Amino acid sequence: MSQSLASTPPPPGELVPAYNTRNYLNAESGILSWLLTRDHKRIGIMYLVATTVSFFLGGVFAMLIRIELLTPGPTIMSAMTYNRMFTLHGVVMIFLFMIPAIPGAFGNFFIPIMVGAKDVAFPKLNLLSFYLYLLGAAIALYGMIHGGADTGWTFYTPYSTTTVTKVVPILLGAFVLGFSSILTGLNFIVTAHTLRAPGLTWMRMPLFVWSIYATSIIQILATPVLGITLLLVAVEHAFGFGVFDPARGGDPILFQHLFWFYSHPAVYIMVLPGMAVISEVIQTAARQTIFGYRAVAFSSLGIAFVGFFTWGHHLFTSGQSTLDAGIFGVLSMFVGIFTAIKVFNWTATLYKGAVKFTTPFAYVCGFLFFLVFGGLTGIALATVSLDVHWQDTYFIVAHFHFIMVGGTIMAWLAGLHYWWPKLFGRTYSDAWGLVSATFIILGFNATFIPQFLLGNYGMPRRYYSYPERFWALNVASTAGASLLAFGFLIILVYLLISLKHGRLSGPNPWNSRGYEWETLSPPPVENFLENPVFRRAPHDYTADGSGGASGDGPEVKHAV
Amino acid sequence: MAITTSRDTHVPHGGPAGATRYYVVWILLLVGTVLTFLTSRIHLPSPWHLLLAMAIATGKSALVVLFFMHLWDHPGANRVVFGTSLVFVALLIGLVLLDNATRFVLTNPGHRGTLQMEPPGPDILTPRGWPEPSRRLDMPEAGEPGHSAPAPSGEGRQ
Amino acid sequence: MQSEGYVAHHFPNLAQQEHAARLGMWLFLTTEILLFTGLFTAYAVYRFLFPEAFAEASHLLSAPLGTVNTVVLITSSLTVALAYHFARHGAGRTAGLLLLATLAFAAAFLVIKGFEWTHDIHEGLLPGRYFIYPEFHAVGGPMFFTLYFLMTGLHGIHVVIGMAVLAVIAVQCFRGAYDHGYTTPVELGGMYWHLVDLVWIFLYPLLYLI
Repeated sequence: MSQSLASTPPPPGELVPAYNTRNYLNAESGILSWLLTRDHKRIGIMYLVATTVSFFLGGVFAMLIRIELLTPGPTIMSAMTYNRMFTLHGVVMIFLFMIPAIPGAFGNFFIPIMVGAKDVAFPKLNLLSFYLYLLGAAIALYGMIHGGADTGWTFYTPYSTTTVTKVVPILLGAFVLGFSSILTGLNFIVTAHTLRAPGLTWMRMPLFVWSIYATSIIQILATPVLGITLLLVAVEHAFGFGVFDPARGGDPILFQHLFWFYSHPAVYIMVLPGMAVISEVIQTAARQTIFGYRAVAFSSLGIAFVGFFTWGHHLFTSGQSTLDAGIFGVLSMFVGIFTAIKVFNWTATLYKGAVKFTTPFAYVCGFLFFLVFGGLTGIALATVSLDVHWQDTYFIVAHFHFIMVGGTIMAWLAGLHYWWPKLFGRTYSDAWGLVSATFIILGFNATFIPQFLLGNYGMPRRYYSYPERFWALNVASTAGASLLAFGFLIILVYLLISLKHGRLSGPNPWNSRGYEWETLSPPPVENFLENPVFRRAPHDYTADGSGGASGDGPEVKHAV
Repeated sequence: MAITTSRDTHVPHGGPAGATRYYVVWILLLVGTVLTFLTSRIHLPSPWHLLLAMAIATGKSALVVLFFMHLWDHPGANRVVFGTSLVFVALLIGLVLLDNATRFVLTNPGHRGTLQMEPPGPDILTPRGWPEPSRRLDMPEAGEPGHSAPAPSGEGRQ
Repeated sequence: MQSEGYVAHHFPNLAQQEHAARLGMWLFLTTEILLFTGLFTAYAVYRFLFPEAFAEASHLLSAPLGTVNTVVLITSSLTVALAYHFARHGAGRTAGLLLLATLAFAAAFLVIKGFEWTHDIHEGLLPGRYFIYPEFHAVGGPMFFTLYFLMTGLHGIHVVIGMAVLAVIAVQCFRGAYDHGYTTPVELGGMYWHLVDLVWIFLYPLLYLI
């Protein structure tokens, strides 16, 4: 059944415009049209701005940490301040950036377009989720301004229930942010189930949607447990009820179980969207359809589910039973299988592809390299006996930064550079893109490889001072971090410049066969000019449209 | 599926008088409640009293979920969603309980064994001696009424 | 307004929109289930560690009052299910009356709960460090009451939220908003209420009976 469309199609015979002049950005004007919008695209842009600001805030905390670690003793702050710095770095980066960034910005913008819908299933809930994000950020910011917490972002009891620092606002902020995350995930799952356009079967859905769908499952199942756990800590901090207090018969390890039941799947909430982006970019970059569509699609679900069975590997040295440690150690290794499936399939996609080395592809290369190394160290850490040596050292810090920064943030940058023309209709300077990619990749290596060494040599994490023998590696790490920061600043500059002075991109600057490139750049408010009908697989680069691995019928008709 | 199928649409049973099933479920729920109350008075040996109570509760919940919440009429994604949530409930409670059940006995809080044990003798103490009891920063000193765990003290331990 | 006027612009028809709303609600209820599961986990762990103390502390609660509350909540579930049934058949006024009955039962539940809590506070059966019941010395006693107040407290908050939601829906029922085939809010509000009932079905035996 056809609905009336808000935008009129161009007169017949007119070429597709290089820049769509009646797009979602200028459809309505005024601040209220943005603040009260229900357009998933505008909400996506607002998320992009908000999460990028949070990213830079978290980066400021990171630089302060690295500067402090330039010398063995105190450099620019006291121990107490240092504790607050790494806590806030973790809280801001994880809850305000890593978890919402790719789903909130790119997921919101592209999932409806990729499934041929006019919006997500619940647009008003979508707006609510953004406001909850802002509210949670505001509450946490209030706590930060008043000194912040010094417990680490992991809020372990009994310290978090007894510390004098402002841990309660941070906990409540994270609680509210959790609801934002839940509503986003809920929206995406229902959208994928109920708003796919005619012809779009599950097996024709873009892999980006599959991975975000898997992320949303984790958000629904895991985030509430974090909510209740943080609430319990806040209540215990405020009233001293003693749920985790050994003096009252409580078990501090119970907190760790409940916390990591969310937080381990949370790292998959952070990495699956990155994998979602990579699946899209790599197919365009190689100009080949993905090798093993089903394997990649189902491995996303595999990561989502199996990731729930592994949380105890964060408790190897905390005092849980040996039986549980053994079980979790074995299960933790299984989850690597699914990532490996993806990596092999992505690599196979590149084989005999026609690769052009663009900025998004540079980040894809970085992603593959760093995800593999970070992931391998993860499997090593899953071995209980090895973890006894590495736990709470910089080895762990390097491991998760390899995946979070080397993986997810590289993917975020890849997505940003890949989809920028679609979002805004303009291109940026690819030369500057490659320059900053170089800085970022080199800077990343310089920052975090020394940290693997430091951790192996025994430097503990969350310490503001260290023995002199670790001095050189710490200086190297800080130098790398400066290079990283410089790279990010360059990106910010040329992307902002491109908004005004960038060359018009046209609807498909990459010549991609992804579904989102079939519509105009920037997209019209209703996403398409005609109701889309899907008659081919995504990223079908075969000449006759037979689709190669997942061909569906000979008829090729582009949506729009 | 994007195309709606007839099975997705809830067809009310009968007319307004087709509410019989709800009354039947209600009666069964009340029966279950009475049953669970009476069986608790019998004082079955542990763990059967817990298992029986949980079984009755599960039965009652199944009735509510299937008939009051119409899961019986709506096959498909809704059932998968609900079933999946139950799997993860079991996972969380199960593995955490397994941890406490299989730990080295002294690492469990408030364990009877710990509370009644003699402290270890001087041969395992470090040269620095018995550690100071840690102080809570936001609480008054130990000695509130009703607090029955013995406060650690350093005397008589050397 | 005919029912098709309630369809949002991005849904092809009302049936699809209803299906989506229902799925979305089930997903939200899943999050509520997992929320309570955190507390049930704590209960399981501490019950395992302090079995006799928990059993003894449980006797200090009033099982008859708990049973009455269970019956009240089950009946409120019946009335809300009937409300949806009648709304579905276009009998908006009957549905509204049934929702008012549900609210009455919910209020009764809260009154009884308030009575129980006041009684417990008087007796000194308070959570954690406030526990001052003189005859009870086992370590698990205060922990039982901590969990009791947290679990029934969180449940009570959900009862209040459910009441607010159902009150709004009841008003809309009386206005005839759901007489033309669009009954999604009644269904979703009812589902939320059934979840509140579900949680209590498990809380009741665990806290009062065993």
